Amino acid sequence: MSVTQQTLAVGRGLAPTRLARRAWHGGLQGSDYIWAVAFAIPYALVFFAFVIYPICYGLWLGSDPALYTQLFDDPRYLTAVLNTVIYVGVGVNLKMLLAFLLSGFFLRKSWWTKSLLLVFILPWATPALPAYISIHWLMNGQWGMLNNALYLLFGIDGPIYLNDHWTGLAANIGAYIWKTMPFWTIILLAGRMAVPQELYEAASVDGATGLKRFAHVTLPLMANLYIVCTLLDTIFALGDFNSTYFVSGGGPAMSTEVLATLGIRYAFTTALPRLGVATVMTALPLLIPLVFILMRKLRMNEVQL
Amino acid sequence: MVGMSRRSVLAGSVGVAAAGALARPYIANAQAKTAVCWLNQGFIPQEDAAMRQVAEDYMKASGNKLDYSIMPFMAMNQKTISALTSGDVPDLVFMDAPSSILPQNAWDDKLVDVSDVVTPYESQLSETAKLCSTFYNKVTKKRSYYLCPIKQGATPFHIWGDLVEKAGLKMSEIPKEWDGIWTYLKQAQAPLRSKGMRKVYACGLQITTVGPNDGNNLFVHFMIANGGEGIVTSDGKLHVDDPKVREAAIKSVEFMTNLYKEGVVPPEALSWNDADDNNGYHEKLFVMDFDGTLSTELAMIKDKQAFYHDMQTVAPQLKNDGTPMKTQVNAGGGYIPKGAKGVEVAKDFMKYFMQPNVMNENLKGGLGRWAPAIPQIVKDDPFWLSTEMPCLKPYITEAVLNPTLPVFEGFTPAWGQANAEQLWGQAHADVIKSGMKPADAVDKAFKRCAEIFAKVVM
Repeated sequence: MSVTQQTLAVGRGLAPTRLARRAWHGGLQGSDYIWAVAFAIPYALVFFAFVIYPICYGLWLGSDPALYTQLFDDPRYLTAVLNTVIYVGVGVNLKMLLAFLLSGFFLRKSWWTKSLLLVFILPWATPALPAYISIHWLMNGQWGMLNNALYLLFGIDGPIYLNDHWTGLAANIGAYIWKTMPFWTIILLAGRMAVPQELYEAASVDGATGLKRFAHVTLPLMANLYIVCTLLDTIFALGDFNSTYFVSGGGPAMSTEVLATLGIRYAFTTALPRLGVATVMTALPLLIPLVFILMRKLRMNEVQL
Repeated sequence: MVGMSRRSVLAGSVGVAAAGALARPYIANAQAKTAVCWLNQGFIPQEDAAMRQVAEDYMKASGNKLDYSIMPFMAMNQKTISALTSGDVPDLVFMDAPSSILPQNAWDDKLVDVSDVVTPYESQLSETAKLCSTFYNKVTKKRSYYLCPIKQGATPFHIWGDLVEKAGLKMSEIPKEWDGIWTYLKQAQAPLRSKGMRKVYACGLQITTVGPNDGNNLFVHFMIANGGEGIVTSDGKLHVDDPKVREAAIKSVEFMTNLYKEGVVPPEALSWNDADDNNGYHEKLFVMDFDGTLSTELAMIKDKQAFYHDMQTVAPQLKNDGTPMKTQVNAGGGYIPKGAKGVEVAKDFMKYFMQPNVMNENLKGGLGRWAPAIPQIVKDDPFWLSTEMPCLKPYITEAVLNPTLPVFEGFTPAWGQANAEQLWGQAHADVIKSGMKPADAVDKAFKRCAEIFAKVVM
């Protein structure tokens, strides 16, 4: 009797409940199952303590409907929502597009490209707070380096960048892109490097040149990674507080506040932490679908990187 | 895995968990005479040394233990609010400027009433310190002491005397009236620019909404100077319907926005953060700044020429109608969150700290950045009114000897919320950026302020 036949014979003898239990146990039996559980317990405890509990606590803190009445009554809230949409929409998509293009550039094998890549990574490696505070000072209209350079080089006085809603918001978005783009460029570069060279060679044999190779080989193979990266960065950007808080400070006249900074102001400037949590909670209707889409993308078994 | 059975692993895990659970109460009992204290880091190292000294002296004197940590103000602010929210609190929080935390948490009954600590010193404390330490509790429906005041701070003018002289003006000729000070000093800009200081401005006017507190503080002082200090009264009532208050607000907004439009204020001031005015002032990018405490001067204490000669500290003296001007003063000290286990030790420490000699030594150690909450101290100890540090005497005169007002946050948490929305900075921005008339900008701010106050019923 072959091994397969033996297995089938044993399987026929098992009661349905036992089969179900074995399936529930992931195919493990006896001490193997106990060991598996023992090793999983620390992870489960950490997961509960640092993920489940904080989320439930946050939901509880923001559970009073009166908080939302108070929140929607604040004229700053709508401005913060609109700014968040622009900040996330422009910041994430522009950055991912640039990162995608740059990842193609950094694929080159010359030594100077590799050296440039080292320099390019520096903003990501720099601690966020001093970096953003430096940008705030750099953009200062009176004594900032940018306007001083403009004056020294061209004899002109530059604008007061952080005094205008649009340039202030652009500064925040620009700082966020500058800080985080190297990370996503490296991720996409790794994705590009994983594309089998044989596919490009085959495409070349079929007569495909630069743009066609990109459209028919690179793009389809990178699409899934690109979408996953974009979704992840959208989630990060929604919760990003540093760029707005330290570059424009939410000014001028609180016109560049985003939900994350408004929430922090409620919590720690006015000592109303529940209202602060409620502010961030209002981003959940956008955040939860993103997480679901992300999970589905990660489970896909199609051709992907 | 040799020698380890499943049973031994499980038994071991249960044993470790049980030991952890049982050990904790034992440690707590062993520390029954200990208080966990969070102390505010000072602006200069001398303040921290003085704080450590008072803690060490108390431990020696009492035999109790203070498990203290010194942390930066903003970090401590956030940590304290988080602690008050979660209920996992220290026994004592000592803060320089707790006015953003105390009104709301006293209102929500999250603080321990410290009247028994403060009352024995009540007759010695300044009226302003007392008003800054009492808050309304919506559960007990009464005001009580929730802060043990140790220090108080005011807002003086910081002026580069050498720049004033360079511009051909004289420090001695600066008018005493509030508006006059600004009007006189704005004349310094043109001569200084003609002498090559291309980007120098006259006035460090903090009409910012980023602050977070500087713009609000400036507006209130303008209100006081224009007779509008009654915008909020100690019963927590808002008086924006008072024509005198409205007129004062319009005059204030008009004066400030006109200074800005005239180009004597750095354009960036509209979005200055807390440190921007200090940085600009230290770099001599404007002639004067109006900012809280002596931190502006003490930050340059190592620059002998600047600290002892060039920088001048000037106290506001007269309102625009020529009567003495009250300046707004904030109090700092210790408070105890409800749920604290070492309340007894925390209170005992504050009783010790509030003794005039202890308070005096601590604040002198911090080089007088904060004035004592007991006015008699500055009269008894020549340190406070000496001219050895030129900035000290005018500052102490303003903060302790001249008439003062408490910050309005102590009257009602609603004022803190109005400030957090930066209503006054918004009014300035409405005039400067949107071309709104000052009266309309004030009415818009007052309307929103009234809405906020309507929700906080005392």
